[in-house]
Amino acid sequence: MQSAPSSAPRTERAVFRTIPVRDLDADRLLELSKQMKLSLSRADMEAVRDLFDAEGRDPTDVELEVIAQTWSEHCKHRIFNARIRHTLDGADEEVDSLFKTYVRSVTEKIMAEKPDFVLGAFVDNAGFVKLDADKAVCLKVETHNHPSAIEPYAGANTGLGGVIRDILGAGKGAKPVASLDVFCFGPPDTRQEDLRAKDVIHPLGILRGVVRGVRDYGNRMGIPTVNGAIQFDESFIYNPLVFCGTAGIIPIQDIAKEVKPGHLLIAAGGRTGKDGLKGATFSSAELTTDSHEEDQTAVQIGNPIEEKKAADFVLAARAAGLIEFVTDCGAGGFSSAAGEMLSEVGGDVWLENVPLKEPGLESWQVFISESQERMVLAVEEKHLPQLQELADTWQTEIFTLAKADGSKRLKVWHHGEAVCDLPVEKLHGAPRRELRAHWRQTVARNPKVAMRPESWTQVLKTLLADFAIVSREPIIREYDHEVQGNTVLKPLAGASGDAPQDGSVIRVDGSDQLVALACALLPEWGKNDPHAMGRACVDECVRQLVAMGANPRRIAILDNFCMGNPDNERELGALVECTKGMAQAALAYGAPFVSGKDSFYNYFITEDGPVSIPVTLLVSGFGIVEDARHVTGASLRRAGSKLCLLGRCTPGLRGSVFARHSQGAGLDGAPTWDEAESWAAYERYHELVKQGAVLAAHDVSEGGLAVALAEMGFSGKAGIKVELENVPADKECTPAEILFGETPGRLILEVPPEHVDSVVAAGAVVIGESTGERWLHLTHRGTTLVDSALADLKPLWQNGLTPYY
Amino acid sequence: MPHALLIKFPGTNCDAETARALEAADFTTEIVPVARLEPEALDRAALVVFSGGFSYGDYVMSGRIARLVTRHKLGEQLQAFVNRGGHVLGICNGFQILTQLGLLPRGSLIHNTSGRFLCRWAPLRKNGDTSPFLKALPDQFELPVAHAEGRFVGESGDAEQYVKDGRAALLYGADINGSSAGIAGLQDATGRVFGLMPHPERFIARQTHYDPDWQEAERGWGYYFFKGVADALAV
Repeated sequence: MQSAPSSAPRTERAVFRTIPVRDLDADRLLELSKQMKLSLSRADMEAVRDLFDAEGRDPTDVELEVIAQTWSEHCKHRIFNARIRHTLDGADEEVDSLFKTYVRSVTEKIMAEKPDFVLGAFVDNAGFVKLDADKAVCLKVETHNHPSAIEPYAGANTGLGGVIRDILGAGKGAKPVASLDVFCFGPPDTRQEDLRAKDVIHPLGILRGVVRGVRDYGNRMGIPTVNGAIQFDESFIYNPLVFCGTAGIIPIQDIAKEVKPGHLLIAAGGRTGKDGLKGATFSSAELTTDSHEEDQTAVQIGNPIEEKKAADFVLAARAAGLIEFVTDCGAGGFSSAAGEMLSEVGGDVWLENVPLKEPGLESWQVFISESQERMVLAVEEKHLPQLQELADTWQTEIFTLAKADGSKRLKVWHHGEAVCDLPVEKLHGAPRRELRAHWRQTVARNPKVAMRPESWTQVLKTLLADFAIVSREPIIREYDHEVQGNTVLKPLAGASGDAPQDGSVIRVDGSDQLVALACALLPEWGKNDPHAMGRACVDECVRQLVAMGANPRRIAILDNFCMGNPDNERELGALVECTKGMAQAALAYGAPFVSGKDSFYNYFITEDGPVSIPVTLLVSGFGIVEDARHVTGASLRRAGSKLCLLGRCTPGLRGSVFARHSQGAGLDGAPTWDEAESWAAYERYHELVKQGAVLAAHDVSEGGLAVALAEMGFSGKAGIKVELENVPADKECTPAEILFGETPGRLILEVPPEHVDSVVAAGAVVIGESTGERWLHLTHRGTTLVDSALADLKPLWQNGLTPYY
Repeated sequence: MPHALLIKFPGTNCDAETARALEAADFTTEIVPVARLEPEALDRAALVVFSGGFSYGDYVMSGRIARLVTRHKLGEQLQAFVNRGGHVLGICNGFQILTQLGLLPRGSLIHNTSGRFLCRWAPLRKNGDTSPFLKALPDQFELPVAHAEGRFVGESGDAEQYVKDGRAALLYGADINGSSAGIAGLQDATGRVFGLMPHPERFIARQTHYDPDWQEAERGWGYYFFKGVADALAV
């Protein structure tokens, strides 16, 4: 069955050209960058010119493309590393790298306080956390926004395929065990005639294509897609967001890796073609109508079975101790994989060895093509025969791409001709960017808008049917979330297996520790208060993990940012504020960032001008559940339990789902909360879980308390009776805020009566009970506010997406 | 201990948990990548297993390419293995492959009526009590399903005939995918070849049930599935 590598087409000769840059002035350099679609700035191009002045010659097209890929925003995160002059409410400050100040330093502080927890952050393809004595768990989340905008199926397909390869390329090869997928789309009921640009795909087309793309990659790879979220908002119509994440497990001894002179670099997996040219630079520019016509080659084509074979090969080679270093071919293709692997030592690359999908590729195309399903391994030459045997067993192609030599130069050969010869230090030394940002925090406006709807029950029904809240069941059922047989807490559970949960918990083969996965994003909050959004996203993610039974001291998180135009000072200001808020909460919770990614230029030039997405932060996280008995779902389990609430309701509805349905209410202030109090509550909650005092727990998030209670009742096992005057709340809170406010830091607990005393001692307040009637009954000082059979509420929630998907 | 041989194609992805489930039921196991498959391997095995997944991607009809490769590799040896008393199990994609290979009653597994992939739990019921694979299970139980092509169709009257003569040993308790006569699993005339769409290997421990309060049995139903055939082989 093995197709011999020699049967693949290969290039017959080197095709490259020399491009004079040394005599060009800045304007002409910038023009060249645009002409070649390098996405390099004026300052970058000047640095390129200086580099070749020092080399005493002009670059080849291969070299310019390699530099463009390597220096792209996608690969080097230059905005997160930039020096930013930021003005907040009129006061100037300087941010010397967002990444260093608000991400890495947070993690370093936490690592110092908690040794032996984070085993690796920000260096490898994913961050690692200790699971047990000999195993680590890692997580990586990527975005694939622009490809998904112009080709939803292939974009999302390869988005997931790419992040799975990140895990296969983490350490010496981690085993992917679970995936998560988070999307931001335009509303499903957007009218076609309201789209303000030609060729833009309707949100429903995006939704269906993206979900199927994820489905067909994840299901075929045999990796359960266990967690996710979807946000719908008009601001995502032109530029949808697609986040794909994968978690992996690896023996701790296989995390450290190093390329040494003398190692061979072998590539494994799919062949190389013209698909996915310049994806890294494409993702670092804005979208326009022309993108839908011209940038199709920037989107890759996925083949999950090719990746499955490569994965089986990599995991077998790692188990046999044959891998010294491994990474995936992502953005920039071989140029970034080999470039990264040779970034310390340097070496020779031979492009004529590359098996192709089609003949006729030019030298630069072979080197930067982002054809999918390719991994690059550093190995010892003596192991080649064993590796070839494994490749034959798993039916994947391998070939020798390069050899590390200690020259500290990246030398690329094509049929004997040198097409690239760059000092690695300069190649990886992109010039630092200088940016301006400002933000003015709008103050909460008073007086409050009076809210006296005719029927609170009707308001609850409206919210349960809102796209922000409705069940994602039609989509969840398309993902195989149980393959590998380890999904203990499933995305849908309860008595009939269809009630919502706060995340998922998976078992790990060979360990008695489990892994909880959760995610949070609140783009609506970011429109007015990005700082609060940053804090709230961290809180919600941590809170969900704690709710499911994770030890609060063993939680790690990832930050994935998406924003519009970083050259717009206000948009960049929102990013700065969001980052600060996120860092504040992460420090308070001792939740280190172990990986992250950022995506810029998420805006589209419509007929009416540019439309940017709101700055959007996805916090995804994983926590260790130390005992299978600690796993806690969000569905009520029996009648006769007490319902208790941890945390406090504060006034303010800004950013809430309720505010979107009530004219003016959103202008009120945002809720306030204190991370130190929340943290103490989460620690006490975890003690209760360990004592067996918690039957079920659900976080209060979008839709507030009333929606959270209804969701707990959708288990089908019990009804709910709550006296809202018992809900801990500031005295100025209105019924709307108590019912539908989204103050972070709150958990609803189902508690067996015999444990109520210890739960109350832990700071929770009894607000009601579960009942034998399948009814939701919420009263306030004797007045009934919400009164409905759960059977009347559940279909509104459960079937909300059905007409659209 | 009986020995189980799990044949793995490119795209087979339920082999690890199926091996784990077999081991829980006291099998010894061996996963053989199809590139290394020799007919002699069958001599070591009491049970040959085709696990779930997407063999060769299932881009053409599910199981079609795997059929060609299996024929090429094993020729008539698999049938001979059954004839001399061997057991063969196909789960999900494995059921599709066994159907393609003609080791099970004639018919096809085609796209669910919804046209969608479907991941959920399905109520099931035994039809008769002839299958060793179902021996240790009660008349009604449930297992997870996850498939896009799980709807059994046969020529006119075939499905009903299989239900009547007991070859359709496993039926859905509710219509989840449009399968003719509710067929979830089929056996051959000997009862030694069995294929089913649900995934018993995903329900070995009680805690993997969606309801944390599930306690209809000591362990998950999938355990009793594999235990039943282990016991039959031990006799």
